[in-house]
Amino acid sequence: MAATAKPEILPDSVQAAEEKPKSGLEPGYLVVCWNDPVNYMDYVTHVFQTIFGWARQKAQFHMRQVHEQGKSVLTRESMEKAEHYVHQLQKYSLHATMERDE
Amino acid sequence: MRLIQTCGDRLVFHLEKREKQLLIEVLKLYPRLPPAHQPLSKSRCVPDPEASQNLLDEALAEQRQENKKQLVALLAAPYRFRETQAGCHLSLSASELEWLLQILNDIRVGSWVRLGSPEEKIGKLNERTAPDIWAMELAGFFQMELLEAVNPKP
Repeated sequence: MAATAKPEILPDSVQAAEEKPKSGLEPGYLVVCWNDPVNYMDYVTHVFQTIFGWARQKAQFHMRQVHEQGKSVLTRESMEKAEHYVHQLQKYSLHATMERDE
Repeated sequence: MRLIQTCGDRLVFHLEKREKQLLIEVLKLYPRLPPAHQPLSKSRCVPDPEASQNLLDEALAEQRQENKKQLVALLAAPYRFRETQAGCHLSLSASELEWLLQILNDIRVGSWVRLGSPEEKIGKLNERTAPDIWAMELAGFFQMELLEAVNPKP
């Protein structure tokens, strides 16, 4: 994979950065996927498409972020939804966690 | 292993005799990942981290138990592998294929963990490491064949 590839900014990542959490029920948790040397890139792309219903291009964008930057913030959700997504991603044995969006 | 037919949401794969044996052997290793293997959060940012972690671990453990039952049933079902002159045909629905990908990746990642989670090159091939390297590579091979069937390269 080319190390010089420029990360593109997708519309929803801009929107996510502008939102501010106001209560525990509002999106305030980041679902993060971390790099590891064992999961195949095609597999990671496929899992992102399956779990989030993303188009292949968007799934590949996040897979490349994981690969090149060590992690990718996949979505910003309420605590319950973030837990749900982490569970789904870990079912596929991906290295995923949820972190508070400070 | 190659995809030979899609009919509705079913996919039929051809496997050589040796491939069938290898697929069955590697699937028998499931589950390979140790229980409570991953944290829910690196920063433990959830309100009750221990309870939340326990819930996740329990949910994943239940899932693995259920997967194991389904896997035993799949391997025992006589209709699943239809013998042919050159090998056999394996028929999977789209959801079964998705499920099989999870099983194979558990075996792949679990074998890597057993090898010490090496960051770069896997260490020496010897009596101790060979079974895990074998399982990791073989699970990866079948994973890629299934992925190629659902996401063919242009």
